[in-house]
Amino acid sequence: MKSAFRNAYLFTVSLSRSLNPNTNPYLNLCSFSHKLPLLSTTYLSPPLLISRHRKVPGRSFSTTLSMSGGADSPSPSLDKQFEEFRSKLEESGSLREKIRAVVLEIESTTRLMHSGLLLVHQSRPVPEVLEKAKAQIGVLQGFYNRLAEITRECPGQYYRYHGDWKSETQTVVSLLTFMYWLETGNLLMHSEAEEKLGLNSLEFGLDIEDYLIGVCFMSNEMPRYVVNQVTNGDYDCPRKVLKFLTDLHAAFRMLNLRNDFLRKKFDGMKYDLRRVEEVYYDVKIRRLTGTGDSKDANQGVVEGEDYDVKIRG
Amino acid sequence: MLLTRLASSTVHRLFIVASKPNPHLLHQGAALQIPPKTARTMSRTSESSSSSSSFKEAFGNYADYLNNLNEKRERVVKASRDITMNSKKVIFQVHRISKYNRDEVLDKAEKDLAAVTKQYMVKLVKELQGTDFWKLRRAYSPGVQEYVEAATFCKFCRTGTLLHLDEINATLLPLSEPSIEPLQINVLDYLLGLADLTGELMRLAIGRISDGELEYAKKICQFVRDIYRELTLIVPYIDDGSDMKIKMDTMLQSVVKIENACFSVHVRGSEYMPLLGSSEPSSFLLGVSDVEL
Repeated sequence: MKSAFRNAYLFTVSLSRSLNPNTNPYLNLCSFSHKLPLLSTTYLSPPLLISRHRKVPGRSFSTTLSMSGGADSPSPSLDKQFEEFRSKLEESGSLREKIRAVVLEIESTTRLMHSGLLLVHQSRPVPEVLEKAKAQIGVLQGFYNRLAEITRECPGQYYRYHGDWKSETQTVVSLLTFMYWLETGNLLMHSEAEEKLGLNSLEFGLDIEDYLIGVCFMSNEMPRYVVNQVTNGDYDCPRKVLKFLTDLHAAFRMLNLRNDFLRKKFDGMKYDLRRVEEVYYDVKIRRLTGTGDSKDANQGVVEGEDYDVKIRG
Repeated sequence: MLLTRLASSTVHRLFIVASKPNPHLLHQGAALQIPPKTARTMSRTSESSSSSSSFKEAFGNYADYLNNLNEKRERVVKASRDITMNSKKVIFQVHRISKYNRDEVLDKAEKDLAAVTKQYMVKLVKELQGTDFWKLRRAYSPGVQEYVEAATFCKFCRTGTLLHLDEINATLLPLSEPSIEPLQINVLDYLLGLADLTGELMRLAIGRISDGELEYAKKICQFVRDIYRELTLIVPYIDDGSDMKIKMDTMLQSVVKIENACFSVHVRGSEYMPLLGSSEPSSFLLGVSDVEL
């Protein structure tokens, strides 16, 4: 059958030139037209082609290809290679599972810290709130150490697994920077954040983009904080927050960002800034901030409203 | 009440002053009378404000880091695109193979592949040192996959065997100085490239069948089946394996296409007109003398 198949090509071409090539799907005429002249070359010995040979042309062609390996069984080297891949990938898979376990614990710790920190919105005294949250930093250090240990087994592959701890780390940074700001009114720098978590950039560091995104998340907390502080009578807060957030926004504007997640978060910061400005303005025009005026609060409000009307035309 | 408020704000101010000597803040009294906009301008332009200038310094560093990272990423993406385009040319070159031009086609393909290695893969060597190898993987992975596809395709057509990852990495060693880290393709990119190879092999098989090289097509069929089988065991362990899963589906379709094509030829083979002079018992031309062609 096979030789017949092969021979059929030559036969159909030689006999039926008038045949419309398109009707016969197995006729590959275009390649055939240059095959015919070649038939007379010694490239393939003629007996193979015009053959009464029972020998299958295909098989002889394949021997010229010197195809190695058994006809039907996979070569052992193929198996071996894939076995190696499988064990390597299994290892990295189990590494990933270990990492995920630690990351889950990081996540539950940050949740604990976050819920504690939320008390500042209810005007609990800041030092008290910070006390509890700070205790958790030690716990976090422990977790990040474990991550460093785990990844120590595969040096240089920090970024292979980075996606697994990326968002939790961003949350951690946002909490730490918020706490630092509550304490000192300043921005926690990248290197300081790294130190707090017991990380070092040579081995297992804090990715700078994670840090920046964390800072953007922190700024999201500001409007709410400012509003609640004012409601509770701290009228100086808006000024401080405004200054801080303005400086922060200006600093971020120095960065050239791509259109990625970081850019999106940074774009959100200006809405936080605007909200804080509004609060600051509300407080200021009503003369609620302590300016040494001898006017009392109510009158201040009335005058504030007059002023409001005046400037708004 | 006003006095206590005044006192508390003064205490606040003192607290701030105590923690960070900041002459700017001492003038807050005057600044407070000014509408918000000017206050903001003041804080921006005040060079003596140590908090904002320390921001600036640190953020200057962050800006440098991000600039360098993004520029590097762009270079890697460009190199990856070049690799993709030229590897595709190699693949198309190999597709021109037939019984008659096998060696010349493969010689040219191998030459072109070596050129891709020397000209384009080499660009990745210096960019992907250290942690950047994994950090920028998304940028160069498509190019490397295409390269693996081209290299394995050439090897298969030359010898009928699979080019191993170690072998392909050995060819990359000469690209770099021995002192620096060599560029080595990782397992994931190799496997993804291998999955794409099966698609090209399917095209080759169908083409070979059209040319009548049924045995060759069967060899391809067997090879692709083996790869598919081996990969089914590995797919679950691949990092973010969603790409691979899609490729596995495509691969199965390719295998089935080849098998169906081989089947069609096998079953319908007896319907083909045998050559004049064929001694095939079923041939109606039995006994007719050979035709000189």
